[in-house]
Amino acid sequence: MGRRRHFEMDVKQNSTFTLNITSMTDMFTLLLVFLLQNFATSSVELKPVKDLRVPTSNSYKNPVDVLQVSVSEGEIRVSDKVVARVQNRQIASTDIDPQDSNFIKPLFQELQERAHDPKAQKGKDEDNGQILLQADQNLPYQTIRKVMYTASMAGYPHVKLVTVIGN
Amino acid sequence: MKKVKINHHSEFELDLASLLAVIMKLVPVLLLSSAFMQLMVIETDLPQVVTEAIQKQEKENKKNILVEVDDSRKVVITIDVEGKKSTVSVDPTKEGHVDLAKLQLTFREIKQQNPDIFKIDLAPAGNVAYNEVVRVMDEARRSRDYHIRFPIKDEKTGKDTTTDYMFPEIVFVNMMEG
Repeated sequence: MGRRRHFEMDVKQNSTFTLNITSMTDMFTLLLVFLLQNFATSSVELKPVKDLRVPTSNSYKNPVDVLQVSVSEGEIRVSDKVVARVQNRQIASTDIDPQDSNFIKPLFQELQERAHDPKAQKGKDEDNGQILLQADQNLPYQTIRKVMYTASMAGYPHVKLVTVIGN
Repeated sequence: MKKVKINHHSEFELDLASLLAVIMKLVPVLLLSSAFMQLMVIETDLPQVVTEAIQKQEKENKKNILVEVDDSRKVVITIDVEGKKSTVSVDPTKEGHVDLAKLQLTFREIKQQNPDIFKIDLAPAGNVAYNEVVRVMDEARRSRDYHIRFPIKDEKTGKDTTTDYMFPEIVFVNMMEG
């Protein structure tokens, strides 16, 4: 009986082939254009705060490197430090001065310390009483007002509201 | 003369490997430095306690525009021209929001009547959402229609020019209220 012959592919061991990378280059070129458009031109690094959605605005002014204050639905932060609590979109009553319903005591203390601390100013632009305020878009104006009022009392009367580009 | 034969049907392949290598290096660099969410700022001028009295004194003899947003999102604009007051109001939409389109038109009309005013006093009610306050500020700051421009005098050259800015200076006047 004759043995059945197995089919064997004729593979050339020393053959070379060229990869067609034209479509891949196309894709990367598109990606490059997109990334160049989104290239960060501002030298100031604004750290996004968790659970905080800033409002949209048609302002195209770049932020400056000054003290950052953020107000989310849970807390008030000065730079990265939590200074006061927000409950039900209102400043926690324990953080409000009993004599003045607009005055947030711990925020005032922190801002005053930073205003008089040369280390806190190091590396930043001359602030001239300016702060960058990142506040959640759903917070009522009365909560924001209290923060602005306290900042003004602590020597930061010029508040720059952080927004995201949109219409 | 000898003729050079050119084969018009010949095909050749571009070597894109080096180009791809450059792009591959650029993409991670740009990915790291890209700002996918561009954060901008709106400048506000807040009156300091010590300067408030002086500002009030200054305002008495000048033109002043007060924009109030009440609890129902109705916007009441009071224009005070040397003691003569007039009021314009913008009713809220059916959904209970500030009527931004109508507000923009109202601001344009006020600006056309008072081209020398660049500052407004803003007094939103306590329960107005911050988002809505920012939108009202947007409508007041500049005209959405770039064809509509307002006259302004260049202080340096003394020449008349135009701008799309209406009321770029916005002051929260009710900040000190309890």
